[in-house]
Amino acid sequence: MTAQNQTLTRPMASPSAIRVPREVLVIPVVMAVFTAAVALLANSFWLTAATSAVALSLSVTGLAILYGQLGLVSLCQFALVGVGGWVTLRIGHAWHPPFEVSMLSGGIVAALVGLIFGIPALRLRGLYLALVTLMLAGGFQTIIGAWGFPDGGAGFLGRADGAGRAMLSRPDLAQDSVPYFVYVSIVATIGLVISQWHKLARPGRAWALIRKGEHVAIASGVNVLTYKAWAFALSGFLAGIAGALLAGNVGQLDGRAFTAFESLNLFALAVVGGVYNWYGALIAGLLLRAVPALLTDLGIDGYVTIGIFGVALFQALATAPAGIAGQISGLIARLTRKGQKP
Amino acid sequence: MNFLPFIISGLGIGAVYALSGVGLLVLFRATGVLNFAFGAIGAVGAHVAWQLMEWDYPLALAILAAVLVSTLVSFLYGRFLAPLLSYRDTVVRAVGTLALALFLIALMGVVWGELPRRLQFPTDQMYLTLFGVRLTFTRIIALVLAIVVVGGITVLLGTTRLGLDMRALANDRDLSAILGVRITRTETAAWIITGIFAGLGGLLLADLVRLQGTFLTFLVIPAIAAANVGQLRSLWVTAFAGLGIGVAEALLTPIDWISPYRSATPFVIALIAVMILGSTAQAALKDR
Amino acid sequence: MIAIENLVVQFGGVRPIDNLTATISAPVSGLIGPNGAGKTTLLNVLSGFVSPVQGAVKVDGRDLLALRPLDRVKSGLRRSFQTEQVVEDLTVAGNLYAIADHVTGPGERIEAVEAALAFTGLRGAADTLGKALNLFQRRLVELSKCLIGKPRLVLLDEPAAGLTDEESATLRELIMRIPAEFGAQVLVIDHDVELIRSMCVQTLVLDYGKMLALGPTEEVLASPDVRRAYLGEF
Repeated sequence: MTAQNQTLTRPMASPSAIRVPREVLVIPVVMAVFTAAVALLANSFWLTAATSAVALSLSVTGLAILYGQLGLVSLCQFALVGVGGWVTLRIGHAWHPPFEVSMLSGGIVAALVGLIFGIPALRLRGLYLALVTLMLAGGFQTIIGAWGFPDGGAGFLGRADGAGRAMLSRPDLAQDSVPYFVYVSIVATIGLVISQWHKLARPGRAWALIRKGEHVAIASGVNVLTYKAWAFALSGFLAGIAGALLAGNVGQLDGRAFTAFESLNLFALAVVGGVYNWYGALIAGLLLRAVPALLTDLGIDGYVTIGIFGVALFQALATAPAGIAGQISGLIARLTRKGQKP
Repeated sequence: MNFLPFIISGLGIGAVYALSGVGLLVLFRATGVLNFAFGAIGAVGAHVAWQLMEWDYPLALAILAAVLVSTLVSFLYGRFLAPLLSYRDTVVRAVGTLALALFLIALMGVVWGELPRRLQFPTDQMYLTLFGVRLTFTRIIALVLAIVVVGGITVLLGTTRLGLDMRALANDRDLSAILGVRITRTETAAWIITGIFAGLGGLLLADLVRLQGTFLTFLVIPAIAAANVGQLRSLWVTAFAGLGIGVAEALLTPIDWISPYRSATPFVIALIAVMILGSTAQAALKDR
Repeated sequence: MIAIENLVVQFGGVRPIDNLTATISAPVSGLIGPNGAGKTTLLNVLSGFVSPVQGAVKVDGRDLLALRPLDRVKSGLRRSFQTEQVVEDLTVAGNLYAIADHVTGPGERIEAVEAALAFTGLRGAADTLGKALNLFQRRLVELSKCLIGKPRLVLLDEPAAGLTDEESATLRELIMRIPAEFGAQVLVIDHDVELIRSMCVQTLVLDYGKMLALGPTEEVLASPDVRRAYLGEF
């Protein structure tokens, strides 16, 4: 599968590596503009949707690493979001540590679970990995359906009844909607920068070799196991953080919302958004949350959204494998090239 | 504890899993496409049947219409959309069917909504008593149908020209083309066959459990699980695996501590199968 | 020096390598034989992608088979593949850094890559994406990768396949300079007998997994057995 990765158009090996590559710097800049625009212009309904969208874009970034960089299809990413959310809620309710601690715990546990989920991948490829991850997503659906999410109770499951139910408190700095949105944006930006750095540096090159072929990778001295495992762990970590941010957004999570279908949806939209450019993840997140919100605003049946996504996915697969982000980056490349013509 | 009623009930659903697993496998072997929309295609057919019965059309017509609609949807996708992806790898082609599934779920949601309904056949009321347990005619029909259809497909693959072409395609697409196997015609036939299986499976599951778009769509997962156990190769192993998964799921119902998790049975069985058999099944996934 | 002793590779009923014993010592050696003779299989045994059921291989006195594939690469084994394996989305420099990352120390990376680029003349194309390269450039990238990180044994699998006579000649010149400038032994598989003749001092001829001839290239190519089996003459 040849990828159209336009983020790597500049040489990756500038000897003066102290200078941060443009491809990384652009992320905080764009995110800052985006965040400012939304924070100033959105009403509370749209703010919640945007917060959710940005949080989800982190989990899509994880998918983009696995699929865009390594060609591995993971159909259980939303389950890992759920894992992160669960851990965050359980720890948050049990010990009331600073939000960052709960969030990082969620990320770390989700990374570990992502690693475990990734073990089949070490031998399997392609379709079988997709199937295995689908099975895992289904298994998670059953478990979280039975357990539910912690809401202030005692014991492992942390379920409380009636009066005992609590909402997770947000970080001290970011109690209200707008500050929380900015907080989420900052965390997401950090995640996106980490992900982009990976792509441009050693891991990205190793992953590109692995995607080319495992024998080619080994012949180039790449420890395939280590780099694949790292990809799964990173992807899981990002999903876990996304789960934490979602938990903080509403204060609770619903076990019925973490079906295997949601993981399928997430993957579909990751492809539509574009897995080869960093902003593809942001586009995917917006599609996942903002488009349904928009259609609800306009009074259109929610199911129409799913139908649109289905059509968009097929169209992306057939004609635009690099997704919407790929189209945008192609456009930018054409425009800048025109600008350079004498 | 008397497990017999659960085994009986499990056999019915198991028959549907068996049927679906085989339908999925036939398509995969002939075209290399793992059809994530299998359940959704059947679900659409089941909804059409329900609608016709609501309008007081005769049962036979409703069933026929259901199977026809499922087959038509499958044919349309297979003939016109799947070829747009035919030179991509197996994963991309499978994700294409995911797009179809999303579209069909949306269609059912918009037209009929997500309210769970029950599809009732008169055979639900008729039953045999075997070892002191009621075996409804619907379940018997499901079992018989599964056996007949799987047997029929085996005969088709083994004795007809079409079957030969499908087996050739399953083995090596490009080589088959050189040998004169008519690819489009054979693949379209495979999509039609899988559509028929999907229609039957959807109808039965809608009767045995409930008629609900997203629920029926997920029939594809136990079907995939069964096919996994069959290593994406053997029809009969897949069929028996489907039966086994259905029975296993049902057997866990009366066991209190595991009962809330029993819907994970297909997933767990599939996972174990893939982990143990995974490497040997790689041959089946050779990219065409 | 590559010392192969009683090497047997078995896949089911087939023996791609059938009791092969040979010592290859020339700085640039050739490996030829009809299709299916076991040439690429031998390279795969040396790389570690295929495990023999019997036999020993020593490179410069050290037991090669005892090392894991990755360790062989780290101790100086390099190879190219029959179909070029340039990563489309990385630049030429990126492709080279991809191997430099793992076989050189952090301080030496830039130097190693620059040296390889200079040697093959790819300096000017260093920032070109893999997908924009022509076949000759791709083959050169493959060769450059083999020169990074103190190579000791370079295995080239049909490095000139698809190239014009001019390009082949350029490649030949480069390959012949490797032992002197990089201190590595080179083993070249190719079907172009003229290329082998002009480049390799010593040649091993395989047929059905067995050694048909081994010795100075001119002698080997003149041998009646070789002419019959490989060149099709009687």
